[in-house]
Amino acid sequence: MTQAEAAPPILEARDLSRAFDVGQGMFAPAKTITAVDGVSLALRPGEVLGIVGESGCGKTTLARMLLGLIAPTAGEAHVDGRPTHALPGRERARLIQPVFQDPYSSLNPRRRIRDIVALPLIAQRRFTAREIAMKVAAMLDRVGLAPELLDRLPVQLSGGQRQRVAIARALVAEPKVVICDEPTSALDVSVQAQILNLLADLRRDLGLSYVLISHNLAVVEHLASRVAVMYLGRIVEEAPVDALFAAPRHPYTRTLLASVLTPEPGLGIPDVGLGTTLPDPTNVPPGCRFHPRCPQVMEVCRTVPPPRLTTAHNAVECHLFA
Amino acid sequence: MTPVLTVEALRVEIPVKTGLLRAVRGIDLAIRAGETHGLVGESGSGKSLSALGIMGLLPARARRSAAQLRLGAVDLLALDERAMEDVRGDRVAMIFQEPMTSLNPAFTVGAQLTETLRRHRKVSRGEALERAAEMLTRVGISSPRTRLAQYPHQLSGGLRQRVMIAMALLCEPKLLIADEPTTALDVTVQAQILRLLAELQRAMGLAILLITHDLSVVARVAQRVSVMYAGEVVETGAVADVFARPAHPYTRGLMAAVPVPGKVRRGAPLGTIAGVVPSLVGEIDGCAFRARCPSAHDACLRLPPMRSVGDDRRYRCHLPPEVAEARA
Repeated sequence: MTQAEAAPPILEARDLSRAFDVGQGMFAPAKTITAVDGVSLALRPGEVLGIVGESGCGKTTLARMLLGLIAPTAGEAHVDGRPTHALPGRERARLIQPVFQDPYSSLNPRRRIRDIVALPLIAQRRFTAREIAMKVAAMLDRVGLAPELLDRLPVQLSGGQRQRVAIARALVAEPKVVICDEPTSALDVSVQAQILNLLADLRRDLGLSYVLISHNLAVVEHLASRVAVMYLGRIVEEAPVDALFAAPRHPYTRTLLASVLTPEPGLGIPDVGLGTTLPDPTNVPPGCRFHPRCPQVMEVCRTVPPPRLTTAHNAVECHLFA
Repeated sequence: MTPVLTVEALRVEIPVKTGLLRAVRGIDLAIRAGETHGLVGESGSGKSLSALGIMGLLPARARRSAAQLRLGAVDLLALDERAMEDVRGDRVAMIFQEPMTSLNPAFTVGAQLTETLRRHRKVSRGEALERAAEMLTRVGISSPRTRLAQYPHQLSGGLRQRVMIAMALLCEPKLLIADEPTTALDVTVQAQILRLLAELQRAMGLAILLITHDLSVVARVAQRVSVMYAGEVVETGAVADVFARPAHPYTRGLMAAVPVPGKVRRGAPLGTIAGVVPSLVGEIDGCAFRARCPSAHDACLRLPPMRSVGDDRRYRCHLPPEVAEARA
């Protein structure tokens, strides 16, 4: 067991669930969808936990619960050993911070960069104006932004510069955990590379732990140390990144990895063999929730939910391994 | 064989407050039947405006000029707007990243498909519905009759993408311009849509101009590629050649920036391209990439020549092929 594994988790989800009532129109009764359904995971200090899955799998709802932005309907999220949702906002902000996908909508358009990055420090109410100014300048320098940008507005910055501002804002109060939700999806290839390099450097230099949510498996493979695969609200497989990419076990993980395109000419487009039925969170299938799309479906999968099979490093939910 | 699409010295210029924005600065393209030509570049490189320029769909204040713009034997430069409307949707069609750009939320799928068909072909309403249902089946939509009666919002993202493809291909165009057709889709759906496009292309002998920022998509589906930077094509050639030995420093920079599982060591720094794209307002002296180029030297203050290397590969750079190749 390595040291990281021996350490208590800095972030933990225990059987976390979140249901939403969604209207079906004026006269139809509201329907309940369970966006996240009994998710348990642990992030240890220094780790990068990648969470992958398709749209509608619940990864953003999970992120919002981990951040304490929404309350779980069942289960608990803990950060640094304390229940996240019950923590006062100020304390929570010192432990865990988000970086979101869209640097165009996540920054207040009327505030100067200086004020955007200072806000988490002002909210702490324990720094003088001078300390705040120094910390802001140091952090902007650390994320590679020139001092002359301090007095600009977000609209005057490029997408990559805005994402650097969002990262500076997340890190200025020195949190222990950063939840990165699709941090590079809105960026161009060359800018994406700069932001990924920056996130990797900052993690190493500041001793951070990340949850990295992305639909881009190449990005997750590059940065993550462990990967959890989500499907319709559940984590169907979890493993160290090497193991997951070298020997995926769950049929969904296998199709997901098979559909990743790489810039290698001549390999063509893989046949993922999933059919055209798409996962629908308002209509979760009985038994194994992946069974209508599974290329290896068996009779038992249609009625019996698969058991969760765990070893020291891996977990998989599939009847194939029972 | 004459190319399905011939573009020579296409320029798109837009008057802005500070002067003239030269968004597309003289690009050449030739696409043959059955061929997919990838047009790659980052935001603001001019790839989408090039496509809209070819389609005659530029915003009103934009100005288009070209030495040649031909669809087969038809000179698009000689067509007025009405004649161009006859060509669009018939011999050339376009699909977008967001299907709702092409689909009208207020009409059923059936109404929109039949309108497209009846706009260009003399068919009865019944026949048109028949053809529309057939086309939906061809793009892999089950129970097409049900789908025809539905509105776009009742369909999932992947299904809308298929409906948009069906609508684009209904009149069996010669050329399909696909602008980031799978960028908003999940990877599994992306693979399905790209396979579908390839199948339809084979069956119809379609020429496809595929616009994307995603080098992986180009590598897997295109035979030829043109890389755009600051309104110019900086490198063009067969996909296998360009990806194996990128000659232009910008192409090399782009390729080094992509994480590739199993190829790029995990956690190792990715290649980056320093600096930012130059302003395209006014004239650019010399090479537009020189401020960001690791190989920039004095010669780069002059406009670089279009150089040839190997079989019909060209790149716009002062570095001769042997030097460019050595640095690849």
